[in-house]
Amino acid sequence: MSAQATSQTAAPALRAQESAKVAATDVSHRFGNFLVHDRLRFSVQENEFLCICGPSGCGKTTLLDMLAGILMPSQGRILIDGKPVDPKRDNISFVFQEPSTFPWLTVWDNIATGLRIKKTPAAEVRRKVEEILDLVGLHGFEKHYPHQISGGMKQRVAIARAFATDADVILMDEPFVSLDQPTRERMQREVLQIWEHRRRTVIFVTHNLEEAVFLGDRIIILSAKPARIVADVPVPITRPRDPLAAEFTQLRARCAGVLHELHTSPGDRRSQTAA
Amino acid sequence: MMENVEAVEPLPPIAAARWRKLSTSLPTVLWNIGVLVAVLVIWQLMTIVIASRFFPGPLAIVQSFVELAENGDTGGHTLWEHSWASLYRVLVGFGLAVILGVPLGLLMGLYPVIYARTRAVLEPFRFIPPIAWIPLAIIFFSGLARFAFLIFLGAFFPIFTNSAVGVARVEPIHRKVAMVYGASKLWILLHVVIPTVLPDILGGMRVALGAAWLTIVAAELAGGISLGLGRMMTNYAELVQIPPIIVGMLIIGAIGFLMNEALLLTERYLFRWRWQVKL
Repeated sequence: MSAQATSQTAAPALRAQESAKVAATDVSHRFGNFLVHDRLRFSVQENEFLCICGPSGCGKTTLLDMLAGILMPSQGRILIDGKPVDPKRDNISFVFQEPSTFPWLTVWDNIATGLRIKKTPAAEVRRKVEEILDLVGLHGFEKHYPHQISGGMKQRVAIARAFATDADVILMDEPFVSLDQPTRERMQREVLQIWEHRRRTVIFVTHNLEEAVFLGDRIIILSAKPARIVADVPVPITRPRDPLAAEFTQLRARCAGVLHELHTSPGDRRSQTAA
Repeated sequence: MMENVEAVEPLPPIAAARWRKLSTSLPTVLWNIGVLVAVLVIWQLMTIVIASRFFPGPLAIVQSFVELAENGDTGGHTLWEHSWASLYRVLVGFGLAVILGVPLGLLMGLYPVIYARTRAVLEPFRFIPPIAWIPLAIIFFSGLARFAFLIFLGAFFPIFTNSAVGVARVEPIHRKVAMVYGASKLWILLHVVIPTVLPDILGGMRVALGAAWLTIVAAELAGGISLGLGRMMTNYAELVQIPPIIVGMLIIGAIGFLMNEALLLTERYLFRWRWQVKL
């Protein structure tokens, strides 16, 4: 039953796997005997903004670690441009959920970290950091240390670091979860703005459906562990999106329905194909 | 909202700030000067009551200091020659302890399995005080080598253990950030591990310096040389002259204090990214 549901939703993804920017080919992962991910198959097109949603504890962070190439899946592979992901070769950035700035580096040096690891020439580092500083509005704070700025600003530094490297793929793991509502909304708009400025492939994990519908070109919904893909929903709403508009609330309700279904009847997944 | 509290805090920031404010406020400074002067005056007055060559007053000690600094001791060596001799030995032994202790400590911290498998050999050494090595050092070494060896033994373990323990403070998230961008192991060591462990290393160095300074005086008291503060003090003990001995003690205290302050200043400069520097 569940296999039928996933194969229906994954069918277009399968066709697209060859040409996709990022592809997961039946990725399963287990910790010991505990199955975390069960044959995940999806692909992300170049410059696409994909949101991944799911109930808490569905292994979203583990999935991102695998997509970043710092964790090997037990089965299946993560492909970038058709080749197995390798952080040394592929240009990947990651915005983490928890504060991840280096406390011993200034804002400026923190943003430059990715570029420096990639051995970018100094002049280019300077140019790119200055450029991104403008974009995230951190001018005037270059010489501050992380402990001197607010939590929201620290997260902006982490986002700037991720976008500074011109990464092909940017992975974001609930980056705004620790921020208050107004900051969160401002950051969402900022990320969209940066993404529209410099088109990149973004995979954004969140458990907040409103956030997913607001940001994503497409939303993948995962089930609880072992995580399977239960829905793959395109978001055909033009940006900027109004969270109060009817099409927005309807789509959000549809996704909520899928998630709700997961909680109430985890055995029966047929109804999700209707979603 | 969860705020990220970086690194180790010996004191909560508020308590540390309160202590710093208290210790640098003008009334506190005046109180300290007042108490110091009062003690010196009472001491000097007591020497009038107890007039004995076994109870010198502050003035006699100052006189002895000037004499030692200008004309030197019975052998013609000035106070500065003695101090430099001791300081030089400490710097050599301490330097060796840093050069060996930091890399070995980091190695043990990065690969705890090495430590776990060699514990039975390493740990007992930690509990043999360097002073207990003096008899062996007298037999096997002479001159600078003897002192460098003993000071090394005293200074090595604080640096070694602090470096090893500090590695555990490396945040997995910081490693992950570096790995995502494809950083090599060497890059992670230089730019993630060492910056994290550096406060612990400096802390270990301050403890080690104390241990080194303690060891040098004890080693010099054991004799066999003509220079060094410990040697100078033993000479005057044999002559039963108390003021030069006290001068030696005060110089030892002053040099130790200054070296500690120098390291503290280094810490304050290097770790300006932290909330608060260790007190």
